[in-house]
Amino acid sequence: MKPLPPFRVHRPRTLGEALRLLKEMEDARPIAGGTDVIPAMREGALRAKNLIDLTLIEELRGIWERGDEILIGATTTLSQLERSETIAERAPALRAAASSIGSVQIRNLGTIGGNLCNASPAADTAPPLLALNAAVEIASEDGTRTVPLSGLFAGPKMNTLKPHELLTSVRFRIPPDGAGMSFQKLGRRRGHTISLVNASAYLELEGGTCREARLALGSVAPTPIRVREAEELMRGRRVTEDLIEEAASTCYELVNPIDDLRASADYRREMARVLARRALREAWEKAGG
Amino acid sequence: MEYDKILEKVLNREEYLVVGKSVARVDALDKALGRAMFTGDYISKGSVVVKVLRSTQPHARIVGIDAGDALGVQGVLAVLTASDIPGENQIGYALPDQPLLNDVKVHYVGDPIALVCALDEEAASEGLEAVRVEYEPLKPHFDVDSALESGAEPIHEGGNIATTTRIRKGDIGRGFSEADVVVEETYETPYQEHMCLETEAAYAIPEGVGKVTVIGTMQSPFLVREKVAQVLGWSLNRVRVIQALTGGAFGKKDDMGPIVSAMAALAAIKLGRPSALVLDRDESAAHSVKRYPARIRYRSGARGDGRITAAEVDITLDCGAYANRAPYWLWRQTVHATGPYEVENVYVDGRAVYTNKVYGGSFRGFGDVAIHFAAESQVDRLAEKLGMDPIEFRLRNVLRPGSRTGCDQLLDHSVGMEECLRRVEEASNWKGLRRGERRGIRVRGVGVGCGFHGISTSRAAPDWSAAYLILNMDGTFTYRTGICELGQGSPIGHAKIVAEILGAPLEAIRVEGPDTDSTPDARPTHGSRGLMLGGTAAAEAALELRRRMVEVAAEMLECGAGEVELREGRAYRRGEPSRAVSFSEIAEELYLRGLSPAAYGFYAPPKRQFDPKTGLGVSYSVYTFTATVAEVEVDTETGCVDVLRVWPAMDVGKAVDPLMIEGQIHGAISQGMGFALMERLVVEEGRVLNPNFKDYIIPSSMDLPTVEKPILVEAPYRHSAFGAKGVGEPAIISIVPAIVNAIHHATGLRFNRLPVTPEALYMALRGGRR
Amino acid sequence: MRISFKLNGKEVACEARDNTSLLDLLRVEMGVRSVKKGCDQGECGACTVLLDGQPVNSCLVLAPQLMDREVTTVEGLQEDPIMRGLVESFIEGGAIQCGFCTPGMLLSAYALLRDNPRPTVEDVKRAIVGNLCRCTGYVNIVKAIIDASERMRDE
Repeated sequence: MKPLPPFRVHRPRTLGEALRLLKEMEDARPIAGGTDVIPAMREGALRAKNLIDLTLIEELRGIWERGDEILIGATTTLSQLERSETIAERAPALRAAASSIGSVQIRNLGTIGGNLCNASPAADTAPPLLALNAAVEIASEDGTRTVPLSGLFAGPKMNTLKPHELLTSVRFRIPPDGAGMSFQKLGRRRGHTISLVNASAYLELEGGTCREARLALGSVAPTPIRVREAEELMRGRRVTEDLIEEAASTCYELVNPIDDLRASADYRREMARVLARRALREAWEKAGG
Repeated sequence: MEYDKILEKVLNREEYLVVGKSVARVDALDKALGRAMFTGDYISKGSVVVKVLRSTQPHARIVGIDAGDALGVQGVLAVLTASDIPGENQIGYALPDQPLLNDVKVHYVGDPIALVCALDEEAASEGLEAVRVEYEPLKPHFDVDSALESGAEPIHEGGNIATTTRIRKGDIGRGFSEADVVVEETYETPYQEHMCLETEAAYAIPEGVGKVTVIGTMQSPFLVREKVAQVLGWSLNRVRVIQALTGGAFGKKDDMGPIVSAMAALAAIKLGRPSALVLDRDESAAHSVKRYPARIRYRSGARGDGRITAAEVDITLDCGAYANRAPYWLWRQTVHATGPYEVENVYVDGRAVYTNKVYGGSFRGFGDVAIHFAAESQVDRLAEKLGMDPIEFRLRNVLRPGSRTGCDQLLDHSVGMEECLRRVEEASNWKGLRRGERRGIRVRGVGVGCGFHGISTSRAAPDWSAAYLILNMDGTFTYRTGICELGQGSPIGHAKIVAEILGAPLEAIRVEGPDTDSTPDARPTHGSRGLMLGGTAAAEAALELRRRMVEVAAEMLECGAGEVELREGRAYRRGEPSRAVSFSEIAEELYLRGLSPAAYGFYAPPKRQFDPKTGLGVSYSVYTFTATVAEVEVDTETGCVDVLRVWPAMDVGKAVDPLMIEGQIHGAISQGMGFALMERLVVEEGRVLNPNFKDYIIPSSMDLPTVEKPILVEAPYRHSAFGAKGVGEPAIISIVPAIVNAIHHATGLRFNRLPVTPEALYMALRGGRR
Repeated sequence: MRISFKLNGKEVACEARDNTSLLDLLRVEMGVRSVKKGCDQGECGACTVLLDGQPVNSCLVLAPQLMDREVTTVEGLQEDPIMRGLVESFIEGGAIQCGFCTPGMLLSAYALLRDNPRPTVEDVKRAIVGNLCRCTGYVNIVKAIIDASERMRDE
């Protein structure tokens, strides 16, 4: 292990100040909870001369209902997500995902922005947010832009942020009453574990028919993904065990996992199907099926 | 001396005062308040930071070591290599194959080459990067087969076989001809990394020019002293070694203690400044000793009536770069190869093979985990072939008083195997859990594992222990032992033994930890010998002191020595407790009369004789027996295994402290569960790819099964204080096969390789479906 | 830079470089030794402290991030009734073996009982999942935390 490099830490109080520092400081990168950045630096995988600590910026932290949307500030911690009544009520799958990450200690520091910008294919908050059709707001000194969450991920541990950009919030439309959501995670032990595969499903039913279906998987491709073919298969059809099985089975072919020291591609492929099935089933139950 | 009869014969009592009762540990409060000092807590600011420059090559000759740039780094004080070693550059344990610092060749990725000594972490780290080593690569061997090929590049002079073992008992041909069923399988067990919460550390302080004090993590302070002195070229009395409270050991600190201590000491005397070496987590997880991987080919047969008739076992131990404990480890596996059963015809052949990987070393169980995994899988398979219940089959073969072991050792007493097995059978409702069909996505299964574990060291190696006890003027006692407190509580057990014998309140006895300048050599704290051997030495010291105290008290009380009762810090004539003299009054008398208030207790267990050519003889003085039943639930869609409930039993001889014994059983079960299901060191081309908690998975609190109250069977050993046997290791031996056998019951699948990860299980299920 | 924060109820200040972790700051500058370095990677929990009352891995927090915040270690909770109950339960219940994980474990348990006086066994396991222990197998630790919560309720 290496000692942390001799960086300077800046603690701006406003977003504007943070963006300015990000642009002006040499070799600068943002930090919030540090749960990914600090270990990566000690492993020698990351270096920086200036760290821009975002945790003092009030406008970046919080969970708000604005009209028909929910907005989550980027530096909202995973614990805050876990404790939020709004999230528990409106997006229980996101709550389940946040509470499955690491440990109490990690969740008290780790942030949703950090989890997403770290862009691990295994990021647990990604599948539920993808299934919620979430978008992210990205700011720089030149302005802000909003992109669908999927547009944030470029590859394993690679995001699409430009050098002076910051992710400032995540937002998604409040699901209608009756929508069913789920989150499933497979790890190497029961708790405090990185996902080998994770999944989130979202279903809206009308009668027994599927009005809307969304299925997201993580750790089975270079980025977290939505499985569009499975979703199309389900839309407009009567939801049954067989339909769920059919949709889940498509995942086997559609995913693109790798062998790594945690699991083989073969196993991940199989588990994609299993978790997709479990996620769809659970979402179906929650939607009243 | 009938040590197991001390209560009746010496103390003339029927009831114990403290032995057998669980007590709150005296060291627990300091630990809870954060006041307890571990090695790192002694290191003062300004101490030299020592870091180890390690080989990046698995097998290579060293052409040159250039420290020029490193010495130019601001803050780097020195770069020490083999040429800086004033004494012997040798730290090997069983064989002299291990330099402290390598300058001729390197044998594995991580092999120490130099010590970078600096003012702080940053400078030391930068210094490490700046040392240039030129290697001439040699063909590396990453598995035993490669190392055993004829003409293979030798890793050490003398070839790639470090040591061999054998047993020849009975007639193996006849044994198999008598068998109605035969099973032959090959089992493979992997590395296991200890992942002690505290990594290895040593802090060395020069005392003038003639002495050095080393405070560190270790299990054998006198071994550390011996090795440090050897490296420095000094006499033993110039090296003072203090074992600091150690944050987990399980064997790792036994092997690594001398190494980190010698390195820190070398730096300290070369620089004339206090020097500290603390291993990083990834350094420890990648480069310091681990459980030896093993490949065991096992062929055994049984008659139709369930009696095992023959066992033919071939053990290949993957040593890694150095032999270290290999001969002892391999011998232990060899003598326990049959498992805790009577088998008349036993042939065992074992060999330890060098490879260019991180080397094996002490780890709880010391070889008995792997061999019992194999033996217990065999027994389960034989039972299955005969259509017999697994426990029923075992009961027909278990060792009993009067049985002979696989190396023909007669066990005349203290054999609680049967009782352990019967009681877990009952406690778990075994027959009920075994019944019924296994159906559905989540299937449950129940399995059993048995084991036995020879206590302390093996064969004819000298084994003894010693303790020192002093009665102070105020009636309190100072007890000195070289047995180390590693968390297991052995020294506290000694205090209880002393308290029992002297009738002193436990609070009146203060245990002083190992310091080679003042505590006697108690020999190592390993092999589950800390309480049994160390505690019996304590008993000897207490008995000696008691004799003197009783003699004096008798005169003060004007009665016969046989009438004196010692209890609660006072002495009185039996039946007249109101007329008593306090221990402080007795102490004063002792001092006044010039009688020594101190006693040296020495204990050696009965001598063992052993013929290394046949492997037959008395290999261990006594064995602890264990039986465990485990219930698992398998998610057949993912391969995940949950251990639901565990019923452990152990024959402990005499339970000196039930709470502490339970603690050992719990910890051993957790480590065994990890070994069976989730701990997988990924080594590729000699490089450990997951040297961290993130990817080397050990059980977390959420993996905790329901562990039923451990059943403590007492079949006392005649030659140890109160009949107590060692308890630290055995529970890890029986839990591993219990879990794997339970998986078989649930799924019909047998696993010959560990760990049974979700992926491994899933793939096996899938293979069966196709 | 000069860092000022509250440590166990007292205002403290010290000089520290920006890249100093809270763990190193506490152990080296402030002499608080209950906080242990087990991995320096946020995995083992031996370095757990309460930061503004919440358990965190101090190896992941940087010195500058401490400004005007409150750090609590076991040293600062010795008079606290919840902690005292926990310490008693741990000692009586055989929940302490080598002791290296103990301070961190106690802080996680403390935060749990403070916020949830009636935890289930599952709640307890979740609360301490970030505190790895290699000695006890967690059995007596979980039991001690439940015992402490029951005692709290009886009082």
